[in-house]
Amino acid sequence: MSELRYVRPARVRPLPEGAVPVVRLKEVTKRFGKVVANNAITLDIHSGRIKALLGENGAGKSTLMSMLAGRYKPDSGTMEVDGRPVRFESSKDAIAAGIGMVYQNFMLVDSMTVAENVLLGQEGGFFINPGEMEARVDALATEYGLAVDVSARISDLSMGERQLVEILKLLYRKSRILIFDEPTAVLTPEETNRLFEALWRMTEQGKSVIFISHKLEEVIALADEIAILRRGRIEGELDPTAIESKAELASRMVGKEVLLEVDRQPVEVGEPVLEIKGMTGLGLTDVNLEVRQGEIVAVVGVAGNGQKELVEAVTGLVKPPVDTVFIMGQPWRKFFAESTWNRSMCYIPEDRLGLATMRNQNLVDNLLLTTRKGFARGMWLDKRRAERDTEELIRKYDIRPGRIHALAWQLSGGNLQKAVLARELYRQPRFIVAEQPTQGLDVSATEEVWRRLLDARAMAGVLLVTGDLGEALQLADRIAVMYRGRILGMLPTSEAETASRIGPLMAGVLD
Amino acid sequence: MALKIRKRDEPWKWGALVIFLGALLFSLGVSCLLLAGQGKDALHGMFILWEGSFGNLWALEGALLKAIPLFLCSLGVAVAFRMQIWNIGAEGQFALGAIGATWMALSFPGLPWYGLMPLMFAMAFLLGGAWAFIPAVLKLKLRVNEIISTLMLNYIAILLLDYLVFGVWKDPTSFGFPMTPEFTSGAVIAGIGSSRVHWGLLFCAVVGVGLWAFMRFTRLGFELKASGEGARVARYAKIRYGLLTMFVMGLSGGFAGWAGCIETSAVLNRLQPSLMVGYGYTAIVVAWLARLEPLNIAFGAFLLAALRVGVENLQLELQIPAAFGVIMEGMILLTVLAGQFFLTYRIERAPREGGE
Ligand SMILES: Nc1ncnc2c1ncn2[C@@H]1O[C@H](COP(=O)(O)OP(=O)(O)OP(=O)(O)O)[C@@H](O)[C@H]1O
Ligand SMILES: [Mg+2]
Repeated sequence: MSELRYVRPARVRPLPEGAVPVVRLKEVTKRFGKVVANNAITLDIHSGRIKALLGENGAGKSTLMSMLAGRYKPDSGTMEVDGRPVRFESSKDAIAAGIGMVYQNFMLVDSMTVAENVLLGQEGGFFINPGEMEARVDALATEYGLAVDVSARISDLSMGERQLVEILKLLYRKSRILIFDEPTAVLTPEETNRLFEALWRMTEQGKSVIFISHKLEEVIALADEIAILRRGRIEGELDPTAIESKAELASRMVGKEVLLEVDRQPVEVGEPVLEIKGMTGLGLTDVNLEVRQGEIVAVVGVAGNGQKELVEAVTGLVKPPVDTVFIMGQPWRKFFAESTWNRSMCYIPEDRLGLATMRNQNLVDNLLLTTRKGFARGMWLDKRRAERDTEELIRKYDIRPGRIHALAWQLSGGNLQKAVLARELYRQPRFIVAEQPTQGLDVSATEEVWRRLLDARAMAGVLLVTGDLGEALQLADRIAVMYRGRILGMLPTSEAETASRIGPLMAGVLD
Repeated sequence: MALKIRKRDEPWKWGALVIFLGALLFSLGVSCLLLAGQGKDALHGMFILWEGSFGNLWALEGALLKAIPLFLCSLGVAVAFRMQIWNIGAEGQFALGAIGATWMALSFPGLPWYGLMPLMFAMAFLLGGAWAFIPAVLKLKLRVNEIISTLMLNYIAILLLDYLVFGVWKDPTSFGFPMTPEFTSGAVIAGIGSSRVHWGLLFCAVVGVGLWAFMRFTRLGFELKASGEGARVARYAKIRYGLLTMFVMGLSGGFAGWAGCIETSAVLNRLQPSLMVGYGYTAIVVAWLARLEPLNIAFGAFLLAALRVGVENLQLELQIPAAFGVIMEGMILLTVLAGQFFLTYRIERAPREGGE
């Protein structure tokens, strides 16, 4: 695959001499208890430019942006907009000052149309007739070149389109500074391209964009300037045109050499750990799939083409039709009736906070969630040992903050994922179902997850469900492409043309 | 000066206690207004309330006595609430417990206490638990909402109790009053020393500590806590949610059943309709106020029991309606619940326009 998938418009935009920043952060500090999430951060945002924020998981990017968007208040330091100091009491104040943020989980009303969502909560918005409403929103969308049907219902839209609606909401509220926290994590490459074009167009109209992402090639392609955050401090600011390679950027970010490649040595293939035979039902049609110990099989496709149903049936969340799913050689029913806590199947779900962990419990209890049988002594639970093992896992996987009593929701996205992975591998699985395992993870954490999944092949087979084709090509032995509940193709990654064949199959085109 | 509402970045450490005391003061304040509205001397009323609940040994004993059934019912309710199963049927399960204990007491009148008591407690637990088991099965098999079914079963339980004391178990020598014969001495829980407080208090302490240890140190207790996060997480963690639901409801009903057993045996010494004074409903208030923690439940049960005793005193001395106590109870719960708002939000002064 090429290094840069996104084509940057051919223009260099140096910062004009003596330009005055629209937003200026000075010595901003934010603590959560003992954790210093942001330590004396000074940062300038200029109009008409895209600033990328780069940093490891838990570096403090989201915290910094939440302060700018009025969700948190700085402990010390000042924020200036147009040269005047501001103190935001809520996100309303921030929006009034022209600062808007697109959060990762969209805040839209599913049963309403795009136009209604955009005008929701606006003064006078209630009394405007639908035609007028749609005309206004449509005008706005055309102005910024956002291709979205303003009369469509949200529930009918793809993730990428929903994101455009969130952007429209901010534009309608006259936001001049738009913040995006990992906007591309849920998008297909196609949609990402479209988002980037929209962002460029917005900067041409004088808007400022702050963009957080862990995908380096995106950052290099998109940004006018890059600020690197490490452990709550600004590590430095870079000019993207002066960056030689992804690896260079990555090592600046992490502070040590990063390879960005994993070396996949073939492993001897053993017994099948998953067999799906002619499964029809639950929205799937005639699905056949086999995963053997020692191999990684990736399932790719545009979100919503049956991947979720497949995973739910395999992992026991819903019941598949009889005699279609066999795990470790046993029929589904028998397997789940008799499965043990270790040396069996484990599932690393995409929904980390809602499904894989208990949000209001600490890391010890969250370790126990799926391993409790291993800590049971008769009817009792050996909490001491669980605490010791949690501490060990925190050290081994470098989970921050390193306190066993931190609650799940307090962890940054990347660290929570490491915690889930640590727990599931602790069970010495024979079959691993990993769903978007590196979504939201920084480069070194991604590399580590990849390495651990490859290592796990020594005793396990892996079913990898991912939206990241690069990941699938890096890790998998075979790639299954799903389209409308069917597996349209099963491609071995050993063949050179596989990479180019995936795209058409994802769109349902059979040569 | 403008005030603004802001979300807290971190939870408020002493918030729960401050809110509780604040809500209590607020409720007492409103009660004063209510008294004043009736043309009574409000401050004098508050003094009588205090006198009646904590002012003397007799009052304290009364409060402890009422706290015992309240504590057990509330503990049961809290176990179910922990799992987000809304058992509001403690009242009915309490009645079934009383019926179970009475059944044993009337069937084996000759047994000494060490033979009869275990039978009574076991049967009370069994019947109370079985009464709660019905809604659990209905919920799992037919998806019947447990709030409705537990509530409805309360009425059936009370009617059942009435049927027994008006009919088959009626004491022939009671001059037509609906009550069973008095229990034999083996079926009566004795007082501690010469006080009115009985050994049921010790039983409560044992059960409370036992439940705390169960929730904290056992695997089942952990699974219970995890299931409180929702059926999907339970499914992910391979917790047998259905089985656990039945277990928890059985336990919950059993605790209420024990409360019924103790109250019948120690306080009334017989079964009669006046047993049912709404402990099962107040228990829900206590459980919520205590945020489902056993130790807090002990305090909460004592506090609301004292309030009951105090209001009874107030009623006698100032001739105010009996509803007054219920109003106060409801008000405390409402203000505490409303006060939870301040755990996640704070009110602060907004800076004046134009910045500083
Ligand atoms: N509400 C909170 N309470 C306590 N600690 C918090 C809270 N929010 C964030 N933290 C801690 O502050 C640090 C910075 O977190 P933040 O979410 O800003 O990181 P991030 O750079 O956005 O990471 P990621 O790339 O994983 O999203 C982390 O150590 C995190 O655990
Ligand atoms: Mg973040």
